[in-house]
Amino acid sequence: MGTIAYKHKMAAHCESGAVTSLLNNAGLDITEPLVFGISSGIFFGYFHKMKSFAFPTFIVRNKPGSIRKNLAKRLGIKFHTEKFHTPDEGMKRLDELLGKNIPVAVQVDFFYMDYLPEWERVHINVHFIVVVGKEGSKYIVSDSYFPKLVELESASLRKARFAGGSMSPKGFLFYPEYIPKDIDYKKAIIKGTKKACFNMLKIPLPFVGIKGIRMFAKKIVEWPSFARDTEHLSHEIMKINILLEDQGTGGAGFRFMYATYLQQASAILGKPEWSGLSKEMMEIGDGWREISLFASRIGKNRELGPDRLKELGAMLNGRAETEERFFRRLKNSIN
Amino acid sequence: MKEKDGFIDCPQQQVILYVEKEDGKYEPIQTGSYLTKNYLDDYELKRRHLEESLKKQVLSGEVSPIYYYMVLEELTLSELGARAGIRKGKVKKHLEAAHFNSIPRETLQLYADVFNITVPDMLKILVAKPDDSVNTNTVS
Repeated sequence: MGTIAYKHKMAAHCESGAVTSLLNNAGLDITEPLVFGISSGIFFGYFHKMKSFAFPTFIVRNKPGSIRKNLAKRLGIKFHTEKFHTPDEGMKRLDELLGKNIPVAVQVDFFYMDYLPEWERVHINVHFIVVVGKEGSKYIVSDSYFPKLVELESASLRKARFAGGSMSPKGFLFYPEYIPKDIDYKKAIIKGTKKACFNMLKIPLPFVGIKGIRMFAKKIVEWPSFARDTEHLSHEIMKINILLEDQGTGGAGFRFMYATYLQQASAILGKPEWSGLSKEMMEIGDGWREISLFASRIGKNRELGPDRLKELGAMLNGRAETEERFFRRLKNSIN
Repeated sequence: MKEKDGFIDCPQQQVILYVEKEDGKYEPIQTGSYLTKNYLDDYELKRRHLEESLKKQVLSGEVSPIYYYMVLEELTLSELGARAGIRKGKVKKHLEAAHFNSIPRETLQLYADVFNITVPDMLKILVAKPDDSVNTNTVS
């Protein structure tokens, strides 16, 4: 079948990276931070007990799929999307699209991305990659988390696209169908930023936004009760670093990428005060980075007693206070 | 985060980090994972200990190989059931060593697909010695 000429670029995050990469390859010059910011990507959610998670966890971005949907709505872009009843149908359709030289983003279970090292791969059904070709039994894949185009066995892609369980992909695929010639970025930036402020400040649920960070700070001392032993607790505490830094966030749980968005948006809107806010967001990110480093250090040293966890909780509370002030100021700068 | 503070030399795991460049502009750089660079050995040590402890549980007849892989792959009982297409109540039984031998081959295959191993690989653990390493990452 062959491989479509496709410019691969690493990105901070898989979904904003796949969307940006498809749009760039289709001729739209847009950066990943703009995609992330316009689609209100910044978020926080803490999940203390959930059927699908073996341990308490948290997220630092909005719901999977929202980046594409919100961006499309706000910029007037149309993405073609499809889901499938059977793996045969889904794989056949992918081959048809590749045969027409259309690069296609697909939702997959990250665990089956065999080209990544074993220690990185976990079962999570919301990874996005772009498939750009097929050579024999292997698909050619552009994955934001890998430095170059890479091969993935057809059997692995099939399993990954049709993994069951929570947020099962059901073969979901998408590609841009229509990109408007004139895009009103100013309006889209205002809308996306307003919604991000709402998400962080106003959603009336105790585990999301600033309230979610506070809940995380309070509940972290209960983590030992979920652990099999000290090494398990150490592993889970060190995963705080993975979730904030390594799982495609651009550093500090997306806070560095959001700072970059605000800097770019400040220039587009001609709003110099957003340049100051972007600096502040960068500093907020530095605080999250300290949390990542602290978590990895106490995890490694097995210093996981109540005092250390309280210290971690206090650091998280510090982030909640700073982010609350920040998002109020950002919101007020729009109204 | 200033660019000079952001660079980590770790070719095994590359990531994108947004940093402040010297001219004050925020831009992405390709760098390495801090955790992988500094603590991969610790991850591997814990993983080895977990494998050994689970293997002992399997060999002493406390749990089945399905339990072994479920814990290693950080899946919950309901998530494993949903992924394999097997009712939660049945999965619960299949985690017990006593019921493992009565699981049909086709059902074992459903579990093996989720774990991304072959059925023979799954069974290997039953004849392993406590200190043998079991390959948990074979593509079926």
